[in-house]
Amino acid sequence: MIEPSTPDRLDDLLTGYFRPDVMPADLATRIARSARAVGADLGELGDRLAIQATPHGVSLIRTGRLEQPASAVARRLAERAREEIVEYLRGKRAFFSVPVDLSEAGAFQRRVLEAAREIPFGEARPYAWVAERIGNPHAVRAVGTALGRNPVPLIVPCHRVWRADGGLGGYLFGVALKRQLLALERSTPVLEGCASTRIVCRVGCVQGRHMNPENRVVFASVKDARSVGYRPCKVCRPSAAA
Amino acid sequence: MDSDRRVIERVAKGDEAAFAEVVGRYGGRLLAVAGRLLGSRADAEDAVQRALLQCFAGASSYRPRWAVSTWLYRILTNICVDELRRRSTRAAWDRALPPIAGSPDGQPGAYMDLHRALERVPREARVLLALRYVDGLSYGELARIRGISVNTVKSQLARGKSLLRAELADRGALT
Repeated sequence: MIEPSTPDRLDDLLTGYFRPDVMPADLATRIARSARAVGADLGELGDRLAIQATPHGVSLIRTGRLEQPASAVARRLAERAREEIVEYLRGKRAFFSVPVDLSEAGAFQRRVLEAAREIPFGEARPYAWVAERIGNPHAVRAVGTALGRNPVPLIVPCHRVWRADGGLGGYLFGVALKRQLLALERSTPVLEGCASTRIVCRVGCVQGRHMNPENRVVFASVKDARSVGYRPCKVCRPSAAA
Repeated sequence: MDSDRRVIERVAKGDEAAFAEVVGRYGGRLLAVAGRLLGSRADAEDAVQRALLQCFAGASSYRPRWAVSTWLYRILTNICVDELRRRSTRAAWDRALPPIAGSPDGQPGAYMDLHRALERVPREARVLLALRYVDGLSYGELARIRGISVNTVKSQLARGKSLLRAELADRGALT
């Protein structure tokens, strides 16, 4: 493959390297089949949720019925949480901005929940990782229990904590949903730019809500977006996220 | 291109034969773009499947003022770029994770140096290089796919290629 250096040598190399691949013959059939199979409804979970809040933040999320939040401030927070959760379950949101109130949780559980919040969107960590993180590496079982009693599931992402062997572990809303949530997060991007405003936002930012789908461009980092002429949104501050 | 549009109209009506036609036309090129960006055949197939699934499910939202290829490559690069983001967060968290090594599946060794050199090229430029060389897309189409200006396309490609030249020269691979 040794050839004299010419200005076109790089072009030749690139053309060879990027030549189209051979496609598996059954790809179209497989995709059409999985398109038909899409049905498991995460949206249905959103309809079943009851949300309790204090004036400081969302304090309890469960299926079934809960008491109405007592104050207007708390009711607004609960309503905002519902909107964010619905968007999240539709793949339109990659972060929660509504505050949580974990003051009812004990000190140990609070540390566990805070550690779970550090797991990036779309990723999973083992229970032992959380135990390490809170400086209590032998408390793996207690971590599992604390997460199992997570007062604010979805917003505090206990579904991102799995067993070290890849097993699901338990989940408040059932393990099938836990798997679905991870799949949902894997297919929801985190940063999107608007090709007409050249602003990059976190997915779910109020600025991006009315973006024409044609203008939606996903970026891997704010630095990448900047490198091609986008600037970070001042509302959702994506630099803090990625 | 007009026939592309007619096929997408049929896909929008749920015509699976038309969808198979789109896959036949674009599958190999989509796989090449995803494969070179993601480095593994399995991840590339997953990305292409997800892109084509979006195409199948969302054909009704296709806007005819765009070429079908622009639309498909936008969907695919959005998916690939997000996968690259996930990998970099994962790598930052788990330093023990080995960097993605080796040539992409099926690539002969001659492209090994280029593969390594491309890893040094900033992501956005790498995406543009892949689209440019897989399909020979115009600057205008590249600009529409990535939502950037034609001038940015040109400067990114030029910068990417000059980085590649320097890297490959260091490795003696351009002589």
